[in-house]
Amino acid sequence: MITYIGAENIISPLGVTSQENFNKIKQAKTGIACYQEVGFGKENIYLSKFKTQTNFYDLIVSCLQAVIAESITNLIFDKKTLVIISTTKADIQENIASPILFSVNKLKQEFNLYNTPIVVSNACISGVLAMNTANNYLKAGVYENVFIIGADVISDFVLFGFQSLFAISEMPCQPFDKNRKGITLGEGAGGVLMSINKNVYKSICFEFVEGTSSNDANHISGPSRTGEGLFRSITNTLELANLNPSDIDFISAHGTGTTFNDEMEAIAFGRLKMNKIPLNSLKGYFGHTLGAAGLIEMAICIQSLRNNIAIKSLGYHHQGTSEKINVTTQNINMEINTILKTASGFGGCNASAIIRKLK
Amino acid sequence: MSYISTYCHISLNQCFVDGKQTHQFNSLSIDQFLKDLYTALSLDYPKFYKMDRLTKLAFIGTELLKKEHPEITMYNDNEIALLFGNNNSSALTDINFKESYQNGGSPSPSLFVYTLPNILLGEIAIRNKWYGENMFIVNENFDSVYFINYVNILLNKNAEAVFCGWLNVNDEMVEAFLFFVSKKDIIQLNLPFEKSKLIELYQENKL
Amino acid sequence: MEDLKTKLKEQIIEQLNLEGYNVSDIKDDMPLFGDGLGLDSIDALELIVLLENNYNIKITNPEEGKSVFNSINSMADYITNNKK
Repeated sequence: MITYIGAENIISPLGVTSQENFNKIKQAKTGIACYQEVGFGKENIYLSKFKTQTNFYDLIVSCLQAVIAESITNLIFDKKTLVIISTTKADIQENIASPILFSVNKLKQEFNLYNTPIVVSNACISGVLAMNTANNYLKAGVYENVFIIGADVISDFVLFGFQSLFAISEMPCQPFDKNRKGITLGEGAGGVLMSINKNVYKSICFEFVEGTSSNDANHISGPSRTGEGLFRSITNTLELANLNPSDIDFISAHGTGTTFNDEMEAIAFGRLKMNKIPLNSLKGYFGHTLGAAGLIEMAICIQSLRNNIAIKSLGYHHQGTSEKINVTTQNINMEINTILKTASGFGGCNASAIIRKLK
Repeated sequence: MSYISTYCHISLNQCFVDGKQTHQFNSLSIDQFLKDLYTALSLDYPKFYKMDRLTKLAFIGTELLKKEHPEITMYNDNEIALLFGNNNSSALTDINFKESYQNGGSPSPSLFVYTLPNILLGEIAIRNKWYGENMFIVNENFDSVYFINYVNILLNKNAEAVFCGWLNVNDEMVEAFLFFVSKKDIIQLNLPFEKSKLIELYQENKL
Repeated sequence: MEDLKTKLKEQIIEQLNLEGYNVSDIKDDMPLFGDGLGLDSIDALELIVLLENNYNIKITNPEEGKSVFNSINSMADYITNNKK
């Protein structure tokens, strides 16, 4: 059976619809700017931030409303409908003792949801993992529709934490580039609707083919030098999807801009002989949006399928990984049918998912 | 049909495996209790001491079950999935991390790395070299329906067994319910993996 | 200098959660990383925090830390030369 995906939405410093965001990044506009004295030591830090203070709850509400607006009426109230929230720190600034459930309970009430939302909190792979979970539920017949919303906001907590790891880049991040020096944090929300029924969407939808996750079993904050977890996840996803690496037209990689992550990803793609497939990271536009990353970036993947445009990997100029991969240096007008999305995160977790155009 | 091959309950100063008490301590604090349990299990794994309380609890729960029933680990390295959850994410460590930088000190990297609840999955995976599916969820209460549904999904997809855990960690208490679900009834305890049985086992030893 | 080295060892044991270690277990010239004490990359970052919190010395680049944190001796020398 086919699982569908569509009704994608993005709320970021670049705009409040996925079209708006896609149009901006097509023009190489970025949400990243320099903020004065916001670091732990009062350093200036590059961030992708909203112009006004945005809280987690408002973000997930706005995003969910936007996805609902792109689907048939009343689907959200159905007893076979589930909402999955993907986040790493949710409301940490406002409610450190219980940063997630307060918002989720409020959401359930405000939207009169039949089923209690599931919260996936699994570091930076939360978004892709949430979509994989939705796919599994749909294919198993447990639910018929799943709204997936991923969101995270920038906080001192998270910024100072990454600074303590010396992981924050002094310049806007440069995924896969030889001069990359770390991540740029971002905030925002991304959402999609996945369903067993293609008629729930107001515009064209796509197929969510398969998705899996795998642990590196190596180190809690550094990725495997052999890219083992990512390699296994992509291998499993391809196998379950009955596809070969050569069936993939485009890769939306994780590409955070750290020395180790990007090197690890390139090694994993190399092991899979995917070196020639056009590939990008979107973090040069949105920053690393943590729990929102998988959803924001998948929404851009869907826009890429709609428009047959592969987006330039902003911040990349020269090969910076030992394994050569085909990082896009400009937008490419090309027929795209099948996209592989990957994500990796703290705790050695890795996830991958494949979407494609309907036949 | 799948089975709960083995399960355990851990709370302050006591452990029960498959319904029978295996350990009892008189430790004066939660952290001391976790250290005493670590020592009692003769684990030669100094990394344990770097873990935060949530991770220590999850880690030691899996080690306890492995010790009682070594057979449960006889799987290929990608066949055991990990499915854990709690109701407050990494809240205790979050508070500790925030304190590290709020009162004149610098933010602590060794605390920051534990401000994500899924790190405990990573520690278990590292210890055992398990490369399978992992997921951490946050939910108000132990949700038997979630575990029944999702474990079965994983067993039908790409797992032969699923190590599950529902944890409760805050300033004043620790509580863990861990259960190992497999396609075969490894220990022959005859505990079918179904909702009523799972709820019954969850509520065992609850005061 | 001896007092400083003893104090350093105590601070390291406490801050890095080196359970079961005494001051006497850490020799002055023992490599802190790799085959000696066996500290890892997160420990290295935590040592940077230790220098900041206890000695007001800021290392801005973890690469710089590699030679500083070679052993208790190198740490003590660095602190003595850079203490504010």
